Amino acid sequence: MVNVKIDGVDVQVEPNSTILEAAEKAGVHIPILCHDKVLKPFGACRVCLVEVKNNPKLMTACTTPVMDNMEITTKNDKLAKIRKTLIELLLINHPLDCPVCDKGGECTLQDLTYEFGVSQVRFDPKPNDTPVDHTNPFIERDIDRCVLCGRCVRICDEVVNIQAISFQNRGTDTIIGTSFNQPWNCEFCGQCMSVCPVGSLNNRVYLFKNRPWNLQKTESICGLCSCGCSILIDSEDNEVFRIKEDYDLGVNKGLLCVKGRFGFELINNVKREKNSKIKVGEEFKNISIEDAISTASKKLAEIKSKYGSDSIGVVVSSRLTNEEAFLARKLAKDVIGTPYIFSSETDDAMPEGTYADIENADDITVLNIDVTESNPVLGFFIRMTARKNEGGLRVFYPKMTALKRVASEFYTGKPSELLGLINDFADAVEGKSNRCSEAASKLLAANSPVLVFNPYSKADLAVVSRIKKAQPKVKLIPCKLKNNSQGIVDMGCATGADLVDGLGRDKIKALVVLGENIAVNPGYVNLVGVLSKLEFILSTDPYFTETSAISDLYIPVATFAEKSGTFTNFEGRVQTVNPAIDKGLISDFDLLVSLINSLGGKAPDSVDAAQELIRKEISNYSGVDFNGGVVEYPYAVKDVNARYEIVGSGSYELYRCSLRFHSGTFTTWSPDLTKVYKEATIEINPEDAADLNLKDGDLVTVKAGETMKKFYVEIEKYNPRGVVSIPMNYKGTEAILAKGEYQRVELIKHA
Amino acid sequence: MRNIIDTLFFTEILQGLGITFKHLFKKPVTLKYPFEKPIIFDRFRGIHYIKTDEKGNPKCVGCYLCQKVCPAECISIETDAGPNGERLIRKFEIALDRCIYCGFCEEACPKDAIHMGRRFDTVDSNRSKYQVNMGYLVKNYKKGE
Ligand code: SF4
Ligand code: SF4
Ligand code: SF4
Ligand code: SF4
Ligand code: SF4
Ligand code: FES
Repeated sequence: MVNVKIDGVDVQVEPNSTILEAAEKAGVHIPILCHDKVLKPFGACRVCLVEVKNNPKLMTACTTPVMDNMEITTKNDKLAKIRKTLIELLLINHPLDCPVCDKGGECTLQDLTYEFGVSQVRFDPKPNDTPVDHTNPFIERDIDRCVLCGRCVRICDEVVNIQAISFQNRGTDTIIGTSFNQPWNCEFCGQCMSVCPVGSLNNRVYLFKNRPWNLQKTESICGLCSCGCSILIDSEDNEVFRIKEDYDLGVNKGLLCVKGRFGFELINNVKREKNSKIKVGEEFKNISIEDAISTASKKLAEIKSKYGSDSIGVVVSSRLTNEEAFLARKLAKDVIGTPYIFSSETDDAMPEGTYADIENADDITVLNIDVTESNPVLGFFIRMTARKNEGGLRVFYPKMTALKRVASEFYTGKPSELLGLINDFADAVEGKSNRCSEAASKLLAANSPVLVFNPYSKADLAVVSRIKKAQPKVKLIPCKLKNNSQGIVDMGCATGADLVDGLGRDKIKALVVLGENIAVNPGYVNLVGVLSKLEFILSTDPYFTETSAISDLYIPVATFAEKSGTFTNFEGRVQTVNPAIDKGLISDFDLLVSLINSLGGKAPDSVDAAQELIRKEISNYSGVDFNGGVVEYPYAVKDVNARYEIVGSGSYELYRCSLRFHSGTFTTWSPDLTKVYKEATIEINPEDAADLNLKDGDLVTVKAGETMKKFYVEIEKYNPRGVVSIPMNYKGTEAILAKGEYQRVELIKHA
Repeated sequence: MRNIIDTLFFTEILQGLGITFKHLFKKPVTLKYPFEKPIIFDRFRGIHYIKTDEKGNPKCVGCYLCQKVCPAECISIETDAGPNGERLIRKFEIALDRCIYCGFCEEACPKDAIHMGRRFDTVDSNRSKYQVNMGYLVKNYKKGE
C-alpha cells in the first residue's frame, strides 16, 4: 500500500493503481473523456491532467501510476484553463449538433463543456461535414462528432477481439473507420457504441426516437440467453425505447450482445396479440381473458375427471421465471396430479463455473460449441481471459469461430475427423498416450482449468464427464440456451418425462403449453400430427406462434420486460427481473395462479409469496439471495454414456451450428434482428459452393434420407471442405436436425 | 348637522352623478371587440408559430427541449428515423388550452423555430381544436401572426 494525498485528502491505495483510481477512492472527481475502466489506460484526451508536487510537468491521471507520498492537485486555475482550452479545441471541428444528436443529454463532451464553463470558443469554428455512414445495420457512424478518444477501437480490440474498426490516416485527418472503407465486418455487438462518449456511434434501432431525459430506467435481466446480463430497460409510456448496459451492475461488466442490445423491438412488436383466442371449428375467435381462463379451467377439470389426472401434460418453456416454473410444477404435480411435466431442458449438467472462474482460469477448453454465438457475453469473457493469458484456450469445433484470434489451439475439421479427435483428447486426459497427449497434459497441469460445453448433446456430455473424472479441478460451464434454462430445471420442470413418449402412449388428452413453441422444436417436430388429435391444447405465448395455431385456446402473455420474478443463469446465479412496462397483458404467473385456484389448489398470491414457497420447498434455493446469489448444486455432470454418431448417407457432412443473431425463434419477432438473419441458412465452404455453382442467397435443397428441405446458401470460408451446417434451435431446421446432430446429406441445387 | 343635510339632500349622489356627467363627454375606452382590435405590444406572448427556413421547411428539428422545459406539459413530440437515416418529426402538437403562455419554449429552442405570436383569440366551441400541430404553427408563421 502506498500513501498519496489528493487535494488534501490522504488515501492508501495499491502500489500500481493510477492517480485516477486513487482519486476515486479519495472521493475526488477528476474529469475524464477517453478513459474507460474496462479498457487499458490510453491517455489520448488530456482532460484528466493533474499537478503533482515537485513535478514540473502535468500528468494524466488515467495513465500515471501513483508513487508513495505523492501530493496531487486536481483543481486550480491553471488546470481549469488548460482543460477549458482542450474542450475549446475539440469544439473547433465538432458540429454543434446537440439538438439532433441522439447523445444529447448524456454526452460526455456536453457535460465537460458545462463543467469547464465553455460558453464561447475563441477559435474560428470549422465544423466537420461528412456524410453519415449507414452501412452497419445497427450502428450509425457520424465521424464528424468523433473526438478520437479511441474507446471504440480499443474495446473492439481488447474485449471483442474483432478489430472491425480502427484509426485511419494520421494527424488532423485521423478518422475512425473500417479497413479500406469496406462495410463493417463485425458482430454488431454494439460494444463500441456503448463506450463512445459522444454521438459518433449511435443505436440505429433507437435512432431519433426519443431523448434520454424522457426515458425511465428499469434495472432488469436480459430475457434471451442464459448469460444473465444485467440491462437497463429505457421506456416511456409502456414502450421500450432501448436496452442499455450498466457498467456497474451485474455480472456482465456492461457487455451485451447484438440480441440483447438491439433485439428489444420484439417487445413493442405491433403484431403481438392482445386478445385471447379460442378455436371454434377451424377459425379462431377472440374472447375476453376472464372467459379464456374459466374455459381453460373448466376444460382441464372436465378432462381430468373423464380420463384421469395423468391425461394432462404441462409443457414449460425455459423463458418462464423461476416463480412461474414453480407454479407450473405445482399445477401439474399437486393440483392436477399428473407426472407429465415436460421441458426441452436437461438436468444432465448443472452449473459449476462462474464468470469469475473464467477470469481466473489458466486453461480454457471450449468443447464443440460456438459459444460466441450461443452465449455471447460468456464468449467475451473467454476472449478477454485468453487475451490476457496470451493463450491457454483450446477450442474444438468443426469451423473456426470468433475465438480464432485468441485461441492457442484450435481444432477444426469434418465432424467425422473432429469427433474422433475429441474422443482422443478425452482418452489422453484419462492417461492414454496419443496425438492429443500434449494438449491433455496442459489441461492436467492447469491449476484452475475451465471446460465450456453444450449440455444438450449427450455425446459431448459423455466426453465432459470423462474429463471431469480425470481432472476434477476443471470447472464445468454448461452453455445453457435460454434465460432461465437452469431455473426451470431447479424448479423441477425437467423431470426426464419425454413428451414424445407421453403422447405416443396415447394417455395424454390435453396439454398446457406455457410459452414453448413445440411445433418448431427439433425434438418435438414429429409430434405435430399427434398433437392435432388431442382434445384440448392451451397455449400461452407473447406471440401467436406455430404452436398457438394448433392449439384450442391461446392466451397472450407478458414478455420479460413486463413481469417480475427471477431468472437463474448458467452460473446458477439467481437474478431479479423487474417490470419496465405494462402492455395490459397478464403474465404466465397470473394465469397459473388463476388455474391453480380454480382447480381446487391454493396458489401464492404474489411473486414474493411464491419466492417464500420456493425457499421452503426447493432446498438449494433456501439460503440464496434472489438478487445475485449463486445456487449450490449437488453435481456438475451426470455420468452419461453416449457416443458420437454420424447418421445417414451422402457426400456432405452436416453439423448443427450455433444460431447467429437470434435466441431461438423468439427473437424473430424483432424486425431489426430479422433484417440481418431471417430464414435459417446453410453455411457452405466456398469451394463446395463453386462445385455446386452456388452463390450467396441461392436456394439449395438438403436431402437427409427421405427428408428434403430448402435453405438459402451462405458462403462461409471457415467451414471445412465437404462440411455444411444449419443452425439448431431455429425454425426451418427442425425436420433435418431431428434425425441427429451429425449427418451425411446430399445437396441438390435448384434450377 | 352637516350629516343630516347630506342624508336629506343626497349631496354625495349628486357629486357622483356630476362625475358620470363629465365622462359622458369624454372619448370612450371600451373596444368594440371583435369589430375593433386591441393594440398588441411587441412583447405580448400569444399563440405560437414555428419559423421556416429558406426552403420553406419548418426550422424545428424535434429536439424535445421545448417539451422538456414546458411547465404546463402541453407540448407533445414524436420523432423517428426516416428510411435514409434522417431525423423525422412524426408529431408536434401543442395543447393551446393547457398552455400558460409563459414563453419558456421560445427561450429553450436552440433552432430559433418556436416563437410566441401575437394572436390571443383561442376561443373555440370544441376542445379538440385547441390541439394544434406543426402545420398550424407553420401557417401561423406564414400568415405573419
Ligand atoms: S459492434 Fe462490436 S464487433 Fe462491431 S465494431 Fe463495434 S465493438 Fe466491434
Ligand atoms: S467514435 Fe466515439 S468512441 Fe470512437 S474514437 Fe470517436 S468519439 Fe471515441
Ligand atoms: S442474449 Fe445473452 S449475452 Fe446477449 S445480452 Fe442477453 S443475456 Fe447477454
Ligand atoms: S408558452 Fe409555456 S406553457 Fe405554453 S407551450 Fe410554451 S413553455 Fe409550454
Ligand atoms: S425546442 Fe425548437 S427545435 Fe426543439 S423541438 Fe421545440 S421547436 Fe423544435
Ligand atoms: S481521460 Fe486521461 S487522457 Fe483522456
